[in-house]
Amino acid sequence: MSIDPLKKILVFLFFILLALTTARLGMAQQTFTTTIYFDYATFLTKEGPITSAARNNFFAFRRAYFTYENRIGERLRFRFRYDADNVSNITAVDFKKQSTSRDGKLRPYMKHLYFELADFLIKNTRLRVGMADTLTWKPAEDKWNYRSVAKTLVDIFRDVTGESIDATSADLGIWYAGALNKYARWAFMISNGSHYTRIEDDKYKKLMGQLHLVPIAGLSLIGYIDYEKQDATASAYTYKLEGYFEMVKNLSVGAEYFVYDNDLKMTQTEEKYNVSGFSVFGNYIVSRDILALFARYDNYEPNNRVGNDKVNLVIAGVDWAPWGTTVKLQPNVWFYDYEDSAKKNDVVFQFTFFLSF
Amino acid sequence: MNVKKMLMIPLIGLGLIASPYIGQAQKSKMIQIKGSDTMVNLVQILAEEYMAKNPGTPIAVLGGGSSTGISAIINQTCDIANHSREWRQKEIDLAWEKGVKPRVFVIAVDCLSIIVNEKNTVEKLTIAELGAIYRGEIKNWKAVGGPDNAVSLYGRQANSGTYVFMQEHVLGNKNYSTDMMEMIGNAQIIEGILVDEGGIGYVGVGYLFDKDGKIRRGLKVLNIAKDDKSPAFSPLDKAAVDRGDYPVARPLYQATTGKPSAAVAAFIAFEIGPEGQRIVEREGFFTIATKDKEQNERNMR
Repeated sequence: MSIDPLKKILVFLFFILLALTTARLGMAQQTFTTTIYFDYATFLTKEGPITSAARNNFFAFRRAYFTYENRIGERLRFRFRYDADNVSNITAVDFKKQSTSRDGKLRPYMKHLYFELADFLIKNTRLRVGMADTLTWKPAEDKWNYRSVAKTLVDIFRDVTGESIDATSADLGIWYAGALNKYARWAFMISNGSHYTRIEDDKYKKLMGQLHLVPIAGLSLIGYIDYEKQDATASAYTYKLEGYFEMVKNLSVGAEYFVYDNDLKMTQTEEKYNVSGFSVFGNYIVSRDILALFARYDNYEPNNRVGNDKVNLVIAGVDWAPWGTTVKLQPNVWFYDYEDSAKKNDVVFQFTFFLSF
Repeated sequence: MNVKKMLMIPLIGLGLIASPYIGQAQKSKMIQIKGSDTMVNLVQILAEEYMAKNPGTPIAVLGGGSSTGISAIINQTCDIANHSREWRQKEIDLAWEKGVKPRVFVIAVDCLSIIVNEKNTVEKLTIAELGAIYRGEIKNWKAVGGPDNAVSLYGRQANSGTYVFMQEHVLGNKNYSTDMMEMIGNAQIIEGILVDEGGIGYVGVGYLFDKDGKIRRGLKVLNIAKDDKSPAFSPLDKAAVDRGDYPVARPLYQATTGKPSAAVAAFIAFEIGPEGQRIVEREGFFTIATKDKEQNERNMR
């Protein structure tokens, strides 16, 4: 039986950290947190690709996170997170056929299970081992700040266009990040490339790298690249640029642009094509911890060899916490505009409830 | 109904929700202060005295620990952070990323008092002995000239500035013993020591006194020496603290998100001015040094 090098490193580091954990359980600080998003949605149009569906005016739970964190010591932390949604809910795994089956129920599944060690080898660094956040859209998600309302550009791309991108929010691997000084941070990750929702069936590993520059206070520029071999001859890359402006009190503005380049993405005429998109978003705090306004514009290009397939999405809403920050009411509107003139616009109103405790 | 009209309905709704807060946000003058539990009582008293003289400026003071206060300044969810330790590099980096350029003021000096149960015969410790006790290397009071009794360690949680200060200045940046009981506040440490003859704890000087201004019955405050060759001093010896002879003293800080607003600057000026410093002394803390006064003045500009 052969075990590839990533697995060997993972197993080795995991057991070292487990041993440290056991030795230091006496001074552990443990927390349990829960975050839930659910919506009431209603279609304001009737003829678009989304709003022509028979189902309208419905409540739905989208996400329920349950997180356990254990600060084992000064430098060591353990995190376990269950997530639940009704999209990725695998009910059975067939190892022979390498397949999974699903149903429509809201079920929990493991999202995070990792150890984090601070100041590993180099001061001002963090090492994560296990199932951890990837680098792909974490900065964008943090700055957008409204994951409860909408996923960020790369995350939501497949939902909007139907065109898949090999990207995930968490994966099994090793994550190492640090800061050179207040002007420059870096991060690397090597992961299975199999995603957290699937059994490990990916022969090739995924490499991710990120450089985050903050040349002046409140201005961030981030460059990201990932690479994964697809088969003996094909490779896939994701290139991403992000910029964030937080120099004006109570105002945060961000933008991201990405290109996904996969040698296996071929048109019917055997031409290779790229997938790309950009997003601009911002929020303004009207009253601290009570009221904020947010808006976003996304542009999706699912195939650069095909015209007439772009999608524009505008999201706008209010983040209102009249009873404290545990419960937030986030009414929002989604407006889809399709380049394809055969498709009518979609307008959806969502009343999103955000609970965190 | 066309798309524009349909969009107008939710947008008007959103506007109706937002409108009452737009004016309210501009009018609000409440100064929000969060952070160090060591400082919460002192700053609460300073705030009450300030509000009595300036009734137009409401001030809310909350604890939560130094890390909580610093985090609130980084996220701009408070006006002033109380903190009893210096900023960590990752906090400075995060503030920079979020466009926050904090200004830090020293408002008082705190001496960490090392306390034991009054039945403990030990009178003094060196910093090295104290560090060894908290690292778990000394487990019996006999090793430092005390009774044959096991040492019980009382300390703060990791989000406390006091915890960090002790670790950096007394434990030599090494880990606390895993046997240490992590208490949520100074008051809990004192309660523990009062009923535990083998107990040792660290608390701000301001927490030692009862309502009559006397050291709480049942507690003993140890004298601390820099090393074997130096004399030991009490944190209650003001002259020794002023001379810098008491080795477990630290500044108490307040941070703002940038140049303080007029209302915040006026409150800080009160705290570091003669009236505020009299309150600082009255509450068992020590007044700030000249170099800190100069630094505070520069940060006000």
